[in-house]
Amino acid sequence: MNLNINAQKAQTYDAIVVGSGMTGGWAAKELTEKGLNVLVLERGYEIKHVEDYKTAMQDPWEFEHRGKITTVAAEEHYASMFFSAKEGSQLNFTNDKEHPYIQKRPFNWIRGYHTGGKSLIWGKHTYRWNREDFLANAKEGLGIDWPIRYEDLVPWYTYVEKFVGISGQAEGLAVLPDSIFQPPMAMTAPEVHFKKSVAQKLNRPITMGRVAHLTKPQPWHTAVGRASCQFRNRCTRGCPFGAYFSSLAATLPAARSTNRLTILHNAIVKEIILDDHAQKAKGVRVIDQNTLEVRDFYAKVIFLNAGTIGSTSILMNSKSARFPNGLGNDSDQLGRNLMDHHLAVGARADIEGFEDDYYFGARPGSLYIPRFRNWGNDKKRDYLRGFGYQGGASRADWSRGGAEQGFGADFKKRMTQPGPWKMSLTGFGEVLPDPNNRFYLSPDKTDKWGLPQVVFDADFNANDRAMRKDIMNDGAEMLEAAGFKNVTTYDNPAAHMGLGIHEMGTARMGRDPKTSVLNKYNQVHTCKNVFVTDGSAMASASNVNPSLTYMALTARAASYAVAQLKAKSL
Amino acid sequence: MNRREALSRVSLMLGGTLSAPTLLAFDRWSQTNPESRENGASILNEEQREIMARVAELIIPKTDTPGAVDAGVPDFIEIILRDCYAKPVQDVFLTGLGDLAGKGLLTASPDQQTTLLKQVEVQALANTKAGSVSFWQLIKELTVWGYFTSEAGIKSSFDYQPIPGKFEPIKIKPGQKDFMYGNQV
Repeated sequence: MNLNINAQKAQTYDAIVVGSGMTGGWAAKELTEKGLNVLVLERGYEIKHVEDYKTAMQDPWEFEHRGKITTVAAEEHYASMFFSAKEGSQLNFTNDKEHPYIQKRPFNWIRGYHTGGKSLIWGKHTYRWNREDFLANAKEGLGIDWPIRYEDLVPWYTYVEKFVGISGQAEGLAVLPDSIFQPPMAMTAPEVHFKKSVAQKLNRPITMGRVAHLTKPQPWHTAVGRASCQFRNRCTRGCPFGAYFSSLAATLPAARSTNRLTILHNAIVKEIILDDHAQKAKGVRVIDQNTLEVRDFYAKVIFLNAGTIGSTSILMNSKSARFPNGLGNDSDQLGRNLMDHHLAVGARADIEGFEDDYYFGARPGSLYIPRFRNWGNDKKRDYLRGFGYQGGASRADWSRGGAEQGFGADFKKRMTQPGPWKMSLTGFGEVLPDPNNRFYLSPDKTDKWGLPQVVFDADFNANDRAMRKDIMNDGAEMLEAAGFKNVTTYDNPAAHMGLGIHEMGTARMGRDPKTSVLNKYNQVHTCKNVFVTDGSAMASASNVNPSLTYMALTARAASYAVAQLKAKSL
Repeated sequence: MNRREALSRVSLMLGGTLSAPTLLAFDRWSQTNPESRENGASILNEEQREIMARVAELIIPKTDTPGAVDAGVPDFIEIILRDCYAKPVQDVFLTGLGDLAGKGLLTASPDQQTTLLKQVEVQALANTKAGSVSFWQLIKELTVWGYFTSEAGIKSSFDYQPIPGKFEPIKIKPGQKDFMYGNQV
């Protein structure tokens, strides 16, 4: 008896954070800094910042396959191979064969089951959502109204931006509110020309991509060991300079420095355990992914930060007499309104001239063209919402040689010189909330830990697809406005959910427990000491990259949770 | 779902910029050759290896800088063929080598070799089909890629800058070599 009590005590913390990625890192930092003893549970293996970035400093010739992944590795990484199709970074993507899922409709579920999660491999474009993003559902009668407004998040955006470090240019645009910025990265000469031409002829502003890279580290950045971007653009191998924001480089070290952080790896959370009255959660049940040993951990408050699909899956799998369909699922909203951004559509051009212009360094990031459709004075389109673009102009390198005609000494020499300039633009379109776009847990298929496999049943709808014409045509129009040549457009009809790696929704926030899972502080309506602060909380998708908003929501929820704990309200 | 379709989705994120050989390399659903991978055995015989090396050297010959053979391109091509390409692609490659053997590449004069290779290139371009890959596309891409990622190729061809430290627009100086950052892998 005493033994049991002691064991339970040893496994009790003030707070448990499930997941060590983008938002789990923030929850850990905020909760430890506010005095809580925190246990972070990471389902994957441990990656140590810097020392485990084994390929980061390798030269090209040191890779046996010079970057190409083998047929065996491609089979293991079937969801992420388009992105991890490089030898140097494949270990930072989850082995999909070991972690299978079911595609009722096509879905690329791209994951990072290891310390830092997808913060190790993210694209790093970082934007605030705008006022309209939080109002559009209500105005259009779509989905449900957000329980918060832009103004609620402003102080939290400001707070996380300062710590993250985002390089970018302040523009004063309502459609793309400014963040607290580090100095912006430079544009290439044709990009400067493009920006000027499009502003003059089409009145559309273009800005340098806002990316979470340090370009002028501040004392609070160097304090956790981060340095300025070295412009190597080998980011997905892990950055030994800690220059781009990841939980490994930034939030976890900050949390660790409080001496109140414990991280347990290989710990797959199976379910949340409720107290006897089924009013509150008392802990989580964990399976060791290697030994299969099952252990329980206890805490006053639980933050789910396992990624959109991961967090919602845990709620779904937490069944009880009170919650037969999953924790907090009285509304039947768990798993519904799955969103992403649709992409793989845009325009390209060749650029004549600028022969004397070049650039030094490999820039991680691109231009950003903010949404201009269905915005301001723009004529109403035959679809709702809008899209933005990422893209840029660069000179072709030696790799053009494979497709270029000719061989021999002249060909060889030509490949050692900078090639012609080219520019491409890729659209990122908003996806509307749709209750029929969903995932659920398989009733019969399980993984090797006995947990039900996820079944994806979602696709873009007519509205999402309608805006792709504009994405192509508007992109081509801008490239033509700059006088670029051989303008072509592309729209891959096979584009489907998941490829944006911006999974959102499935446990949405709202005012009414009948139609939403979480309240305005990301608390489960019917189980107040469980907070969900990753992409699953989103009630709509905007067209800009979502991570900054997740981070702001997490810091805000953590602050609220600690205040509630202190007031003994949790 | 259709797996061939899924394969083509691989390229869509990159705006379809992956070349046909690269795409085919991802064709995990076709048969691979696990036996040869396990024991590290070559899939080429002596003659095939000699022809491959000759073609690679014709594509990137030794000049005032090292050529494909100096840079170890033939060994590289063998490794990639074995580990990264499916059986049907390997067969295309082997057939192409066989054709050149039949045409007497190894015994031809240097000029005749160049002429023969030009014919192969013209024919490959004339017969380009979506979703398929020719011997010429394969050996051309593999040679270029193997050479310009090799230590000898990089150091003799480019201004290699593994840690540039900054990004800035510049003007090209006369005779400027291209920069190489090593981020393509």
